Amino acid sequence: MNKDSAIHLKNITKAYPGVIANKNVDFQVNKGEIHALVGENGAGKSTLMKILYGIEQPDEGEIFINGTTQIINKVETAINLGIGMVHQEFTLVPSFTAPENIGLGEEPKNSRGLIDWKSLNKMVVDIAEKYGFKIDPGLKMIDASVGVQQRTEILKTLYRNANILILDEPTAVLTPQETDELFNVIRTLVDEGKTVIFITHKLREVMAIADRVTVMRAGEVQGVSETKDTSITELASQMVGREVFLQVTKDTANPKEEILNVENLWVHDARGLIAVKGVDLNIRKGEIVGIAGVEGNGQSELVEALTGLRRASKGAIMYLGEDISSSTPKNIRRKKVAHIPEDRTNTGLNTQLSIWENLIGNSYFRNPLSSRGIFNLKKVAKHANRLKEDFDIRSPSVSLKVKSLSGGNQQKVVVARELSEDPILTIASQPTRGVDIGNIEAIHEQLVQMRDDGGAVLLVSAELDEVMAVADRVGVMYEGQIVKWVNPKEVDQSQMGLYMAGVTD
Amino acid sequence: MDKFSFKDVLVTFVGLFITTFIGWILITATGNNPSEVAKYLYEGGFKGTRNIANSLYQATPLILTATATLISFRVGMFNIGINGSMYVGALYAGWAGYRFTNLGHFSHVSLCILIGMTVGALWMLLPALLRVYAGVSEIISTIILNFVAILFVSYMANGPFRADPIAPATARILETAELKQIFPNSQFSTGFFIAVFVALVAHFVLNKTTFGYELRSGGDGLVGRYPSRFSSYLGIPSDRSAITGMLISGAIGGLAGAIEVLGAVRYFFQELEFNQGFDGILIGILGKLEPIGAIIASLFYGAIKNGGFFVDYKTDVAREIIVVLISVLIFFVSAQKIVKGLEKYPIIKKLDSFFSRKKM
Amino acid sequence: MEWIEIFDISLLRSLLRSTAPIAIVGMAAAICSAAGVLNIGLEGKMLNAAFAGVAVSYYTESMWAGLAAGLIAGMLTAVLFGLLSFTLGADEVLAGLAINIFSLAGTTYLMRTLWGQAGFFSDPRIVGVEPIHFTFLEGSFLEPFLSDFTYSVYLMFFIAIGLHIVYYRTRFGTAIRATGENPEAAEDAGINTVRIKWLVTVFAGMLAGISGLFLSLENLTMFTEGMSAGKGFIGLVASSFGNSTPLGTFGAATFFGLGDAIGIRLQGVYELDSRLILMIPYALTVVVLILIGIRQRLKVRPVAIPET
Repeated sequence: MNKDSAIHLKNITKAYPGVIANKNVDFQVNKGEIHALVGENGAGKSTLMKILYGIEQPDEGEIFINGTTQIINKVETAINLGIGMVHQEFTLVPSFTAPENIGLGEEPKNSRGLIDWKSLNKMVVDIAEKYGFKIDPGLKMIDASVGVQQRTEILKTLYRNANILILDEPTAVLTPQETDELFNVIRTLVDEGKTVIFITHKLREVMAIADRVTVMRAGEVQGVSETKDTSITELASQMVGREVFLQVTKDTANPKEEILNVENLWVHDARGLIAVKGVDLNIRKGEIVGIAGVEGNGQSELVEALTGLRRASKGAIMYLGEDISSSTPKNIRRKKVAHIPEDRTNTGLNTQLSIWENLIGNSYFRNPLSSRGIFNLKKVAKHANRLKEDFDIRSPSVSLKVKSLSGGNQQKVVVARELSEDPILTIASQPTRGVDIGNIEAIHEQLVQMRDDGGAVLLVSAELDEVMAVADRVGVMYEGQIVKWVNPKEVDQSQMGLYMAGVTD
Repeated sequence: MDKFSFKDVLVTFVGLFITTFIGWILITATGNNPSEVAKYLYEGGFKGTRNIANSLYQATPLILTATATLISFRVGMFNIGINGSMYVGALYAGWAGYRFTNLGHFSHVSLCILIGMTVGALWMLLPALLRVYAGVSEIISTIILNFVAILFVSYMANGPFRADPIAPATARILETAELKQIFPNSQFSTGFFIAVFVALVAHFVLNKTTFGYELRSGGDGLVGRYPSRFSSYLGIPSDRSAITGMLISGAIGGLAGAIEVLGAVRYFFQELEFNQGFDGILIGILGKLEPIGAIIASLFYGAIKNGGFFVDYKTDVAREIIVVLISVLIFFVSAQKIVKGLEKYPIIKKLDSFFSRKKM
Repeated sequence: MEWIEIFDISLLRSLLRSTAPIAIVGMAAAICSAAGVLNIGLEGKMLNAAFAGVAVSYYTESMWAGLAAGLIAGMLTAVLFGLLSFTLGADEVLAGLAINIFSLAGTTYLMRTLWGQAGFFSDPRIVGVEPIHFTFLEGSFLEPFLSDFTYSVYLMFFIAIGLHIVYYRTRFGTAIRATGENPEAAEDAGINTVRIKWLVTVFAGMLAGISGLFLSLENLTMFTEGMSAGKGFIGLVASSFGNSTPLGTFGAATFFGLGDAIGIRLQGVYELDSRLILMIPYALTVVVLILIGIRQRLKVRPVAIPET
């Protein structure tokens, strides 16, 4: 056992129903080092860290902290062992200031039993200074920048005497300047004897800040290296390169006229930040255009703008000659645009309604399903059952509520509804998420069929395999922009990994 | 619809059983005889033409207020202000009843009903707009408007609409405005048939028309929530659905009030008390937010309510005990964890799936 | 009489008396909202407490027994609410509503069954709460402002200040606020959010009890059917307007109390129909709701797009 070992997760295996999240993982971090844990979505990094932090327990394997075996089955235990975690989604109380958040649950009291805010504030400011940054004790988190919020989260762990800090995708929400500031903080932390684990998919940052890096892929460790001995390319190939097992047999595309042209599109997200920063793209009939990229780079907002669910802030969306950037979903649907949304349970379906009620969402007003406003339930049943068969929806009856279906079957309901009305343009966002292999193939075939029948498809997916196999040409989205257009037949996976990480040269 | 799943029905029956038990305790604790109460309860509800007629009469406004409330709920609005609609609908229907002379029977009744429904609908307009455009909780706005309604109609009966120098009441409605009472000694009127008809229409519209589909698309849970992303995604403007739903609810609530005045009391007076609005909420929930369920539950509740009057008359037990027991039943039925807990027993699961193999 | 003349000492006293029940139940609503519990059932708690107070005072001819009974009634109703919502998984709003209906019917039932009275129950045997006369204030300038009120009027100030201190200067207070705003952050910090919600609910039940007792044993000495008359909801609106803080709620409640008090005075001056006057607090509530809604809408501001 390495005497300098701060953390050693040995032979960790953890399985969830249907997927092995961690398989014989061996993860080792030395004291005082900055260690990067790298991998795509679903590689198993979060699960591993949840095990370390006590949120989950491994099925097999051991945990060694500072050389001693430990059982961590509660978060409290992890904290007592000096492990602190800064989650990707901050757990801060918005109307509290930094000290109020940091001291929550353990505020110091004065002689009369009341909270001593003065000394708490001072303590917080002192800790911050010690690690090289400033904190304004009077600023409420809701008014603070993301960088400040993040530093508050870090201070929370330090206040609880953490020696080992786990930062989960910390730069996902930061500007370049804030990222630099964060890196300075991390370096100071390490100078003061702390150990830092840094979970990320951004390889450039790994090379900039980390001492060592562990790459995970599909639940297993692919490689452990010192950053000075490796390169971004190597890391990318470890991260992404895998046997392409999703082959989609299709003919070459034969694109016809252009139907969609997006010009300099800017879209804000729900928080008021800019999510789409000047995107241009076009789609022609008879082709499948893919948008690849790790989630959170503006794809959701792009799709929402194209389907009328979110107003574009600037730019034009020309569809069949008309600007639809401020159209309603109703009008856009009337123009034969289908949308398979990324959020199927709240947006794509009403799980309280029955299967047939969900299936007719885009056709209920037509003959023969209804005439003059009244349903012909026999015809509706026939139509629903036909869709059920065509799209292989597994359920005893279409009268049952959608919430009784499995995730994969629920998605089939959405796909069945959207693809069955002869759309001209189909926008599919994460269409096979949570769907098992056999059905993934079916959905891909259906999308290709749409294309061959003369329609156009925009496929947005964080699953690189899917995009590369199904699309005819692919744009990589990174931080709100399309940084590269590629022909999937001419690029290899590790190259794509680079582009997805923001490296374009 | 698998709302009436075996589990739910079972829970309702067990709830009824427990409620009866609690009733037993309450009655004994106040020094009364429970079996005597039970006997009068049954007689008052079901024995004899007059009692049956009165039971149906009691059920009439309930059918409507329950239907009105459930429509709001299914659109995603937690509307508890139907009571208010009922009050204002009653007042203005009563007013129309004496104000317009020289009208044939059919036209006068229709006019009164129309006015009552319109006023009832308008009463729901403010809460609907407040919720859709200002995000103001409709729970609070509708409840407050209930109190305002009571004060308002009381003021009107005392002031501008007052006709009687002694009693604070409006003038009696003209005969042409009456809904005929069929049985002697009973306030049961043809209004009952109107109520059932409206509930059936509501059932049809909600479940079998595209309009109803659009209204329901966003909500439709037991306690629905506005706004809904599914609706917007499909292109159905959920704000319009919400407002329309509230207006329809208000109209039906106003109708309930109108029928009360035109069919039973025949004039509007200050002490007129309508609690059917609140009872309607409970009935709507018991009927699982379906108008047909509301009809059944209303008939049941109307019967025991009438039975309760008889009990009140014959013993010292006050009739409010019925409402107390129904609310206890609601406590039981609304405790979701009990329903979910039942799922642990395999026999329940089996019976459940047996009953829900479906018709489509 | 000039309308301006209604602003006198008598109005001030009337204001304090009108504000007390609303402020106290409002603060009950405030701490519940602060912890993330939507407590619609406060009306029921007030009614039960009002009734219990009158009933016990009547049977025991003791004011203290009556007050104790009222507090217990309020808390027991709160426990019922907690059981239904937290333990049994019922929807909070539905449970609160059902409790209100239950309490309204239940208290009316008991009044009619036990005493055979309808509408209201009043009896010389009921011992109410007497106003407190401060002898040391006699003859002083402050006497008309501060003396001879029943205890609740004084209590509401202490509750407001006390709650304020608890909110901002104790661990319990920060735990409550964290639970309400971001339960995950609270749980992360080791706070047991379920326990917090329970504590808050029961305490609110006690406050609602005090408010209910005010109506039946202090203001008048009788029980009237449905005597809470929506004050629980007005309290809820006051707490919403006051952002669920004790002082804010107190301020908003004063506003409603003022409307109430002015209304009563105007009635004397202009001989307006009493019902229109009674409508004033409710109409004010609607106005406040609208203001709250508008305030909400003005909150989100998007980032500017850079000019290229």
